Amino acid sequence: MKLAVVVQRYGAEINGGAELHARYIAEHLARHADVDVLTTCAKDYVTWRNEYPVGTTRVKGVTVHRFPVSRERSVRRFGRLSDRVFHRTHAIADELAWLESEGPTSPALVRHVRAARQQYDFFVFFSYRYYHAWHGARAVPERAVLVPTAERDHAIGLEIFRPPFQRVRALMYNSLEERDMIRAVSRNERVPGVVVGVGSEVPERPLAERFRQRFNLRDRIALYIGRIDANKGCGELFAFFRQYAQGSPDGLTLVLVGDPVLPVPDHPRIRHLGSLPDEDKFDALAAAEVLLMPSYFESLSMVTLEAWALGKPVLANAHCDVLKGQCLRSNGGLFYGNYAEFAEALRTLERNGPLARALGANGQAYFTRHYTWPVIEGKYLDMLETLQREPAAATASEWPIPGWRERRRATVPPASRMLERIPKGPSRSHEE
Amino acid sequence: MPDFNVRADSVNVEDIMRQIRARVREKRGVDYTEAQIQELASAKLERYLDPDKVRSELLDQFKQISAAPDVEFEEQALFGSHRRLVRLIRWGLRPILKLFINPDKLVQATRFSQHVELSYEVLHNLVVELTRLGIEVKNLKMRVESLSSRLDFHERRARALEGVVQYRPGALAPPRSPADPGAGGAAEGAREPEGPSADGRSRRRRRRRGRRSGGQGLQPGDSQDTSGPASEASAGTASQADEPGTRPPRDPGASGDTGSGSLNQ
Repeated sequence: MKLAVVVQRYGAEINGGAELHARYIAEHLARHADVDVLTTCAKDYVTWRNEYPVGTTRVKGVTVHRFPVSRERSVRRFGRLSDRVFHRTHAIADELAWLESEGPTSPALVRHVRAARQQYDFFVFFSYRYYHAWHGARAVPERAVLVPTAERDHAIGLEIFRPPFQRVRALMYNSLEERDMIRAVSRNERVPGVVVGVGSEVPERPLAERFRQRFNLRDRIALYIGRIDANKGCGELFAFFRQYAQGSPDGLTLVLVGDPVLPVPDHPRIRHLGSLPDEDKFDALAAAEVLLMPSYFESLSMVTLEAWALGKPVLANAHCDVLKGQCLRSNGGLFYGNYAEFAEALRTLERNGPLARALGANGQAYFTRHYTWPVIEGKYLDMLETLQREPAAATASEWPIPGWRERRRATVPPASRMLERIPKGPSRSHEE
Repeated sequence: MPDFNVRADSVNVEDIMRQIRARVREKRGVDYTEAQIQELASAKLERYLDPDKVRSELLDQFKQISAAPDVEFEEQALFGSHRRLVRLIRWGLRPILKLFINPDKLVQATRFSQHVELSYEVLHNLVVELTRLGIEVKNLKMRVESLSSRLDFHERRARALEGVVQYRPGALAPPRSPADPGAGGAAEGAREPEGPSADGRSRRRRRRRGRRSGGQGLQPGDSQDTSGPASEASAGTASQADEPGTRPPRDPGASGDTGSGSLNQ
């Protein structure tokens, strides 16, 4: 079987969620099939500036074809269009303009996908919201397998994203909540889909003491790993933690691992260690009492799965349906919806060691059951083999773009209104 | 510390979260919904918690407004002008104007509106103070709760540490005969520190031991006087007879007496 993984950025040094996800999947599928990666020359997800050379290269044993981005993102234009399509009644042309302004605008990549249609059995597109996935899947719908990595944000409410969800050959979801959300938006129950997610390269024996010595940390730790960003809920986390620290003088110390976008508060119980290599990251997880996940929007939190893989409990934001659903299904973590719950849950985990250990053990069992590589690879291969055996449905066809006049008719409701209509809450299904 | 585990399969996150919410409700007293809290937080506090809006001369202004105003003066202000001709015309036409409207009421209404504004500001200030106090009380409650939990922890820790106290067999004197007071006194003397205060302390301990041993230590008819060496020896012997060297650690909560043995932790 010959596969093409199509993703917005690709590289060993790129650690963004969907990009890392794509790399892991490409590397693991490469053990069972002939895998190429089709991507852009961009390294930075804000500007999409061409930084890698155009052409073919190899990254960790996988062949990568890079195509140039024709236009860098204008943050101002993107912001203006986002405001229009998310909050005002608008036209399809506005949404298409929004998609172009979001980027990475690489017509060369889309042209190549269309031209190489016969070379590959399937194209696995990552991240539904980007230019390459929308136009790429439209070019080869009968061979397109979409990994949406969708979050509950405004983009999911845009009209232009219904056809890709309805017309690709199959969807590989990250969670039950993501699947329910996409089904609610696009009514695509007929399209084959499976909840897969992604595994992680978890070391056998991470060393907590090595981490403590290296960073001179003697206190008990609550750990946050990821981009330190208001969009990831870090502002709220800082406010909550400072209040908690005031009420619990002997409580946990918050350790932050990741690049800061938001300034880290100067507080004796908050330590920022910056971005760390994987070895230190897993050592930090091994040393932590609990992993904090304050994000409101997650399609799948890899770091949560990694914490569970090491038997650590998680305290997650209850406003994120995916995290709450996973905590409930795994019995591996607690969640909070406000400060009072945050403080109470954190104190429970801090003081009740046996309970924290039991939650961690449940998380570990959940990880083993659903997110180890043999399980993930098996789900991908099963789906691809099924698709290969069965003929493509009539619905898997190129979706039309409305005519010039139709495209400019401002009758499309704002995406925020669509988002409000999507049912909230963790999935009730247990079929994961 | 004894380690124990919760069975992982018996853990139910939904139940734990229910308990956590119940504890939160208990602490908060009133169970506001999240929407109510958001409404309270977003609608009013921002505005009230602006210290720039608190005026120091507020009370003086209030007093000025509250003082009975001179209506005539107010009328003067209403109909007066720096131009004589205009003033004259206004005063001349005043009776005609009074046929149509009541300027006195107008003056009162103006004054009343000022009053309302100031009352509103006073209310604002009250809310500011109440909010601050509320937050302060909440913080203090949390602090008390934290201190009490720390106290609980230390108490538990102390009890656990006392639970592992062992009496070193070599440090205990062999059981003595009540007829051999000199030997008992020598043994006591060897274990107790020197000096008058140490002596007093050991005497008090012996007295306590004697009391605790009840009828065993002091037989009916024995003297309760502990000043003499004979009575000291008899109390000490009764205590020693009650504590063989192989005896398991006692509950220290029930007895504060550690004078006759040394602590091994």
